[in-house]
Amino acid sequence: MLFIKRYLLPRIVQFLVVVFVGITIVFFVPRLTPVDPVQQVISQITSQGAFMDPAAVDALRQSLTELYGLEGGMFQQYFAFWGRLIKGDFGPSLFQFPTPVMDLIMISLPWTAGLLITTTIISWIIGNLLGGLAGYFKNKAWAKTLDNISMVLRPIPYYIFSLLLLILFAYLIPIFPSAGGYSVGRRIGFNWAFISDLLIHSFLPAMSLVILGIAANFMTMKLIVSNIVAEDYVMYAKAGGLKESTIAFKYVIKNGLLPQITGLALSLGQIFGGALITEIVFSYPGLGTLLYGAINSGDYNLIMGVTSLSVIGIAGATLLVDLIYPLFDPRIRYR
Amino acid sequence: MKKSLLVLIICLLSFSVTFSQLGEGIPREKTLILTPVTGRVSMPSNFNAFTSTYASPDRGIQEVMLEPLWCVDFVKGEIINALAADGPIYNEDFTQMTIKLRKGCFWSDGVEITADDIVYGIETTMKFPGMAYHDQFNLYVDEVYKSDNYTVVFELKKPNARFHANFIDRWGAWRPFPKHIFEKTKDPVSFDFNPPVSSGPYVLKDYDQAGYWTLWERREDWQKTPTGMMYGMPIPTYVLVYYYGEEMNQIIVQSNHNLDMTALTFDGFRALLKRNPHSRGYQLNYPWIVNSDPATTGITFNNDVYPYNIKDVRWALTLAIDIVDYIGIAYDGAAPMGVLHVPPTPIYQKWYYEPLEDWLRNFTLDIEVNGQPFKPYDPSATLRAAQYARERGYEVPDDINELKEMFGPGWWKYAPDVAEQLLLRNGFKRDKNGKWLLPDGTPWKITILAHPNPTAAEYRNTLAVTQQWRNFGIDVIITQTEAQATLQPLGNFSVTDAFPAGNSWGGHQDLHRVLNAFHSSFYRPIGEITAGHAARWHDVRLDKIIAEMEKLDWNDPKNSELGLEGLKILVEEMPTIPTFGYPGVVAWDEYYWSNYPGAENPYSVPWHHWPNLKYMLPYLEPTGRK
Repeated sequence: MLFIKRYLLPRIVQFLVVVFVGITIVFFVPRLTPVDPVQQVISQITSQGAFMDPAAVDALRQSLTELYGLEGGMFQQYFAFWGRLIKGDFGPSLFQFPTPVMDLIMISLPWTAGLLITTTIISWIIGNLLGGLAGYFKNKAWAKTLDNISMVLRPIPYYIFSLLLLILFAYLIPIFPSAGGYSVGRRIGFNWAFISDLLIHSFLPAMSLVILGIAANFMTMKLIVSNIVAEDYVMYAKAGGLKESTIAFKYVIKNGLLPQITGLALSLGQIFGGALITEIVFSYPGLGTLLYGAINSGDYNLIMGVTSLSVIGIAGATLLVDLIYPLFDPRIRYR
Repeated sequence: MKKSLLVLIICLLSFSVTFSQLGEGIPREKTLILTPVTGRVSMPSNFNAFTSTYASPDRGIQEVMLEPLWCVDFVKGEIINALAADGPIYNEDFTQMTIKLRKGCFWSDGVEITADDIVYGIETTMKFPGMAYHDQFNLYVDEVYKSDNYTVVFELKKPNARFHANFIDRWGAWRPFPKHIFEKTKDPVSFDFNPPVSSGPYVLKDYDQAGYWTLWERREDWQKTPTGMMYGMPIPTYVLVYYYGEEMNQIIVQSNHNLDMTALTFDGFRALLKRNPHSRGYQLNYPWIVNSDPATTGITFNNDVYPYNIKDVRWALTLAIDIVDYIGIAYDGAAPMGVLHVPPTPIYQKWYYEPLEDWLRNFTLDIEVNGQPFKPYDPSATLRAAQYARERGYEVPDDINELKEMFGPGWWKYAPDVAEQLLLRNGFKRDKNGKWLLPDGTPWKITILAHPNPTAAEYRNTLAVTQQWRNFGIDVIITQTEAQATLQPLGNFSVTDAFPAGNSWGGHQDLHRVLNAFHSSFYRPIGEITAGHAARWHDVRLDKIIAEMEKLDWNDPKNSELGLEGLKILVEEMPTIPTFGYPGVVAWDEYYWSNYPGAENPYSVPWHHWPNLKYMLPYLEPTGRK
């Protein structure tokens, strides 16, 4: 009971406040920019070259304002928005009217989730494992080699690294596709032909994220472990004659993982924002380009949809970490 | 271990076959691959392009799936009768318009296209606010009915000699949709029209559920489409519209022969030429660009903002531009210069530039140089541009007519001395450093509201004019923003890089569309959105010309004469500065397909994302490579 009152409830309240404030901010910020979604649509129509009688443009502006529900004051729209959101409805996309925002998100979300969850977990596991071992056995040749490789890879800007992979494996040695999620003419289905095609198409985007992700996790974990190995209880374990592998895995790496778990949860929470650069470089489907297009066109509802999910995702991940942390750290459990 | 690593490397390097984006059963040599300009399709399952906010018409819908009533061909300078059998027929006072339909055209599901489709389509459009052209039709259409199966009559609420313009496809128009499909839906706005039924020569074969590609297959009954009837069988069995993303990706993909037609920046195209010997542009050699695009670019003043409300100031800023240097900065010289508010395309030079040549040569400003009225026109600018190109190492011809097609027929003189006189007589002065001061003694600073994309033709104008005006002694800064499309019609700018006039038809001599954007009825004060031109300039003389044009059939020779008079007023007043025609760059790969409509054989509109693509496809020739 004390746990619920002192630990659980404050964190749930904090989660709700963060979500409320975050969503409120993302509601007002796009509306404070000079981008007017109705004018953006009209400019798109007129700039493309189709004939648009200027006399009809004014009428079209009025029609679109009514259709988009942009009439009335900002606060009126704000309360209407919360009314819809409670029912899980972000309204229609303004630039793909009348397609519901959730429909657009659901088209892109599986691609983003599939790519980012997989790559985040893989790079986290491999990076931390290698980093932990290299931190513990830091004088070994293989640890130094891995450290040097990581030091070379880590500072490379992600855009440059992904571009390098694309040029290397889609142009110079063209063994991987340069764009898309699967081949033209391929039917989506749970069969090997499609799955293998999917894996081939996602290989380069995934590798770009995994390699740099491993390097990042490796370096952080190595640093953490390097500090832990100097602590008294590790020296004591060594003096006590425990096996090196037992000390490394049970005493050092396990302790070193605590801050990394927080990092993992936050990374997973951030997937709702998409991986814009990955999507752009590899022309890979996802939420990043959807959100980018929505911002450029002033599609308020779509911006709200994607960013609200992102706010909920990150706040939810933080809450989850807070809740499961006692499982990893007995000090919190006993407090 | 070492052995297996070696085997793996050899396997990778010996993988000589380039990765193909196509699946089984779609032969590359029978597929034309092109890119859309609108990017990835956000709602891939939706093919209802008849709503006002449909954002991806160039995923193949307008190029190969739909036929309009009429279509503009800006290369040949004509309006193509597609589903319409002939041009529009108006009554004497332009309150009634009749359309005769082409007989024997069928939807891809075998139902004939008749007047019922048009009448139903117009009525449905007028009924539902989310449909494209809903507002236009409600503004003008009193009644629409058929007089027989192939004749549609529009009764208009008020005279409108250009009502048919709503049906002329120029990257968009009201296009017929099938009554027998749409009448089964309650809400045509939210209807996804999937699978779509085509009036054009291709049907949907497949599409990417993530929105990157759409695959079209030639109809077996292609003869029953306007394309088939007019031009014959489209040659590619498949047309694949694939969004490959950023320019670098497109260069990579075309270098691997997985992209036949695309549009690049000038710099991107030059990079591609170095990598793919099979790539070509619209012109085979420098300047490579499409010189027939019906859009002109330039600089727009806000004529409601001081000092740009002063004609002398606008002219001074024009004469402070060295156009050869300007185009050199913008496009390494590869853009056709034009002084009129229509681009100097080959067809427009014949229609507008040549008839006005004498007038331009004799046109004078209200200022004297050496005791003579100053004549600002400089036909020798063409030769100077050619010389610039030669100095840059490009080969250009000597023939003046060829040079005019390449570089335009001339521009205004670079006359900073005259510009200075114009400013001095309006109270401007220079400080001790030679920088210009406003008449009240404060430094003259120009902020240019620029296009957000640095590779856009608009932004290239900003870049070039900034340099020119800085050289002249004015402090110029650039503000780039995604909100430009909102700020321009609101008038929240001093100078911007908006196109200097309304878009021209490209395929017809009528200039109403170019001039009408400046009509005083569309004028709004700063802070209110205007549907007219962002320049906020108007003139009673031009209003009168527009009113007279509206009483004439657009084919009436007097209509063309009035258009020329309108262009003269724009030159005199210079509310905006036209600089060069839109210098688009196409990149065509001749590895699988040849006989593209290049400058040496301009049989069709060269843009792959325009609705005219279907009229190009019967002329493409396979190279035989597999």
